[in-house]
Amino acid sequence: MFELEVARKHIISDPKMVLFTVLAVALAIGVIVVMMGINEGYKTDLVNSLVENNPHLTISPKENEDYITLYRTLSAMVWSYPQVDAVSPRLLGKAGAKHKDKVRGVNFIGADPLREDSLMKVQKDMVWGNYSDLVFKKRAAVIGTKLADELELRPGQQFTLALRNKSVSLKVVGLIRTGTGSDETLVYIPLDLAQELSDQPDVVSQVAVRLSDIYAAPAIASSLNSRFRYRAESWQEQNKDVLQVMDTQKVILYIFYGLIFVIAGFGVANTMIMTVTRRTKEIGILIAMGATRRSIVKIFLTESLILGPPAAFFGCVLAYATARLIEAYPVQLPSDVYMVSRLTVLLTPQTFALAVVFALAVNLLAGLYPAYKASRLDPVEAIASE
Amino acid sequence: MSDDIIVLKDLSKIYGNGVQVRALDGINLNIETGEFVAIVGPSGSGKSTLLNMIGLLDTPSSGQIFLKGIDVSRASAGERAHLRNRELGFVFQYHHLIPEFSALENVMMPMLIAGKEKAEAQETARELLVSVGLEERLSNKPNQLSGGQNQRVAVARALANGPSIVIGDELTGNLDTKSSDLIYNLLRELNRKINQTFILVTHDMTLAEKTDRILRIVDGKLVCELRRKGDLFIASEACELGEDGGKIKRS
Repeated sequence: MFELEVARKHIISDPKMVLFTVLAVALAIGVIVVMMGINEGYKTDLVNSLVENNPHLTISPKENEDYITLYRTLSAMVWSYPQVDAVSPRLLGKAGAKHKDKVRGVNFIGADPLREDSLMKVQKDMVWGNYSDLVFKKRAAVIGTKLADELELRPGQQFTLALRNKSVSLKVVGLIRTGTGSDETLVYIPLDLAQELSDQPDVVSQVAVRLSDIYAAPAIASSLNSRFRYRAESWQEQNKDVLQVMDTQKVILYIFYGLIFVIAGFGVANTMIMTVTRRTKEIGILIAMGATRRSIVKIFLTESLILGPPAAFFGCVLAYATARLIEAYPVQLPSDVYMVSRLTVLLTPQTFALAVVFALAVNLLAGLYPAYKASRLDPVEAIASE
Repeated sequence: MSDDIIVLKDLSKIYGNGVQVRALDGINLNIETGEFVAIVGPSGSGKSTLLNMIGLLDTPSSGQIFLKGIDVSRASAGERAHLRNRELGFVFQYHHLIPEFSALENVMMPMLIAGKEKAEAQETARELLVSVGLEERLSNKPNQLSGGQNQRVAVARALANGPSIVIGDELTGNLDTKSSDLIYNLLRELNRKINQTFILVTHDMTLAEKTDRILRIVDGKLVCELRRKGDLFIASEACELGEDGGKIKRS
C-alpha cells in the first residue's frame, strides 16, 4: 500500500506539523480525561457518601400518622428480603443542645446501638469513644465533631438536650466524623431515651434498612409499598434531586467535551489543510502518475490518523500526571455544599479507552475535509502551481 | 491505423464560461508507435493543453482521443488514472520528484501505485536508474542531485511501468546544454532500442530539430507539420515559416 508509505514519509519529514497536531489533540484528550476523571470521582464519592451516610431504604409511618407502633413486626417482615443486611427502627427528632452558654439546634437519632451500628457503620466514623457504650449508659450521647467544637464540648463532659419542656443531661461518650454536613448537627442517643424525651413510649418514626445490593433498593421499596401502607423510600428516591443534578451536569460536561473536541479538530484540520496546500504540486504529480482520487484521500487520512494513537498516548499520560498531582495536593471541598469533602480523580480503563477513541475520531474527522480537498485538485493546475 | 498509438479527431478545448478561450481548435493528428515527436509553438498557443489531453490529465470540450485504438476522451476518472499509470509516462520541466523520497523510491512510485510488489518495484527501479547512469545515486534525495541528474531520475520514473507513450513538457527547459544533450541522447537511445514513443513539448528548436516530426501549433491550431527525411525536414503544405520555425529547412 503506497499510500501508507507516502503518508509515513510526509510525517517523518515534517516534525513541526506532527508536534503541533499531536500536541493539540493530546491537550484536548488530557483535559477531557481529567474532567471525566473528576466527574467520575465525584459521582463515586457522592454515591458512596449517600449510601454510607444514609440508610439505603427508609420506611416512614402511614399517611396521617406520625409514628410506627408495630415496628418490631415491620422489621421482621423487612428481614424476609434476602438483600437486607441490617434493619434499625429509629426515632428521629429535633432538639436543642446546650453546653455552658452555647446553644445549638440538633437532629437526634434514637436507635438501638447494635442495630444502628449494623445499619450505619457508626463505629467506623467514630474518632473517639465507643458507640456500643450507649447500650449500657442510658444518659449518654455520641455527637458530631463539629457540633462538639461549636458547643466547646470535650469527650466525657456533660451537656443538656432539651425538647419542648423536657430536658436531660447527657455525657459525651463518643465523637463521630462522617465528613458531611451532619457533623454539625448529629446526636446519637439510645432509642428508649429518645422515646422518653419525645414523650412517645415504644414507637419509632422510621425503620431504616441497609442492603447488600444498593441498586436493589427501588425494587424492594416498591414491593414494600405494594404490601402495606407504610411509605418505603429508596436512597435514590430520597436523593432524587442530587442524582438529577449529576445527570444534568453530565450533559453539560458532554457539551463541554464536544467543544474541546471541535477546537482540537479545527487545530488538526488547519495543520492538515496547510500540509495539503504545501503539497499541491506533489498531489498533482501523484495523480499524473496514476494515483486515484481515493488514493489521495487515503494518503491524507492515513497521515491524520497515524497521529491519533500518539496523541491519545500523550493525552493519557498528561491526564494521569494531572490526576496524580490533584491526588498529591488534595483539593478540599466544603462538604455541606458538595456532600463530599475532597476532590478525587477516578481514572478508569474505560476513560482511557474513550480517550483513544476520541483521539482517533478527532483525527479522522479533522482529516476528512483536507483529504477530500486534496483529492479534488485539478492535476494540471496542481502541477503548475508554485 | 493499426500502428497509430494516438489518434486525435477534431479535438477542441474551450476554457471559461463568460469570456471563452479556445485553447485547442479542431486538432486532427495521428502519432505512430515509436515516433519521436516535438510539439512547438509560441507561448499560449495550446501546446501544453494538447499535451495534457494526450496525457489524460485534461478532458476535451469536443472531439475524440484514441489511445491504442480505444476512445478514451470520455473515460471515467478511475479509468483515466489507470491509463495514466500503465500507458503514460510524464516528465516535466522541473523534475517534480517527491522531495522526501530517494531516487530509487521516486522511481518505484508508479509501480507501487500500480500495485506491484515492493521488491519487484525496487529491482525494476534500480535497473532503470542504472540505465540512466545513476547507479551511484540510488539512495540520494532530489536535493542531493543536480538538475540534470534529477531529470534523469524523472525519465526513469516515467518509464517505470513500461508506458506506451512518454510525454515531456519542456523537459530540458531548465537544463544547461550539456545536461540537455545527455537527456536527449538518453531518450533517443530508448526510442531506438525499445521503440518507445516520445511526445515532447519544447521551446528549444535545437531539441525539436533532433526529433523525427515537428508539430507546430499556433492559436490552438495545428498549422504546420515537418517530417524528418534524412538530415532534412519535409514541411506540409500548410507551413508558413516564421517565429521559431524560421530556421527549419523546407523541402
